[in-house]
Amino acid sequence: MALINVAAREIHCKIVYYGPGMCGKTTNLQYIHESVSPDVKGDLLSIATETERTLFFDFLPLDLGKVRGFQTRFHLYTVPGQVLYERTRVAVLNGSDGVVFVADSQKDKLEENIKSLKELAMNVTRQNKKFQEFPIVLQYNKRDMPNALPVAVMDRYLNGMNWTRHEAIATTGVGVFDTLKSISRLVISKL
Amino acid sequence: MDPQLTSLIVPAEEAAQIEECLSHLVEDTGGNYALLLDKSGQVIVSQGDGIRQDITALGALIAGTFASSREVAKLLREKDFRMLFQQGVRENIFIALIEEQWILCVIFNKGTHIGLVKVLTKKATDELAAVLERVRQQHKSRDEVLGSSFRTSMEDTIDLLFKD
Ligand SMILES: Nc1nc2c(ncn2[C@@H]2O[C@H](COP(=O)(O)OP(=O)(O)OP(=O)(O)O)[C@@H](O)[C@H]2O)c(=O)[nH]1
Ligand SMILES: [Mg+2]
Repeated sequence: MALINVAAREIHCKIVYYGPGMCGKTTNLQYIHESVSPDVKGDLLSIATETERTLFFDFLPLDLGKVRGFQTRFHLYTVPGQVLYERTRVAVLNGSDGVVFVADSQKDKLEENIKSLKELAMNVTRQNKKFQEFPIVLQYNKRDMPNALPVAVMDRYLNGMNWTRHEAIATTGVGVFDTLKSISRLVISKL
Repeated sequence: MDPQLTSLIVPAEEAAQIEECLSHLVEDTGGNYALLLDKSGQVIVSQGDGIRQDITALGALIAGTFASSREVAKLLREKDFRMLFQQGVRENIFIALIEEQWILCVIFNKGTHIGLVKVLTKKATDELAAVLERVRQQHKSRDEVLGSSFRTSMEDTIDLLFKD
């Protein structure tokens, strides 16, 4: 739930990157952190295992400056994608205003994508929110992989809800900012 | 609270009351800092000596800790852990849940006794619960607060800033 503080003239929104293990959620945040203007970004905080897998979350605050007199901040989080951390994902998802679902385009990851999306639907519903109305943007990541599935096939299994979706290669930044723009606009439209 | 509600507006008057409550809490416990967060980790009000640069990250981490301890509680078939206490060498932090929706935390050092912090935090949570209930009840519309052209300005800003 976005927070509007009238006295401090501040607005905060929370956006969570969700998806199966190794799909590229952390890479999205790293790319944003490297590329966005220094006045906008805060420090990237990562709580990870020794092998760089997310253990709790990554956190990147973005400060958009004053918009119509309101200091506006977006807080980006990633969840840990490994199956083991199901309950941790619930914790990170808490109070989010919108989700980027990052799917791994590789053929052998389709099942994991489907499972993870189902879990997301369940977790959103458990927070007493209507999944149909919840702001979600899809990202098909790792389009550079030779075993990437055709987009039409991924749509059939993952995009029954007709969300906005972007093709991406998070390692080189392709589609990363388009995704961020889409989810930000969507969240703002629901404020 | 209506779970479909997408934004929470904290009016100036209530924000001032929260500030006052937190600064009393800091003064009376001899603590260093007090923060009120919403459960998503956003800092609503902070009070204490000096400006902490790390306050945003602190909010995210504390809310994360609390949310994860809530999941632990569920696994142990506890309803919730209402309070958390983390003890450091120099600083301690005491965290209490308010109405399932907000988190109050007090940062204090060796000079302050945890018992006092507990008692005064309990008192503050009751006070804050009442203020926050008023925040929930108020029905200002977004347009009233932000102005109707906010959305277009926001979209322009997003396009301007979110790029490589
Ligand atoms: N080829 C290719 N590799 C990618 C792409 N995006 C991410 N990777 C790689 O995939 C691996 C996993 O990326 P992460 O961003 O850590 O994945 P994650 O989703 O955060 O994983 P968890 O934290 O375990 O949930 C890393 O080695 C990345 O470099 C991409 O678009 N193409
Ligand atoms: Mg990760």
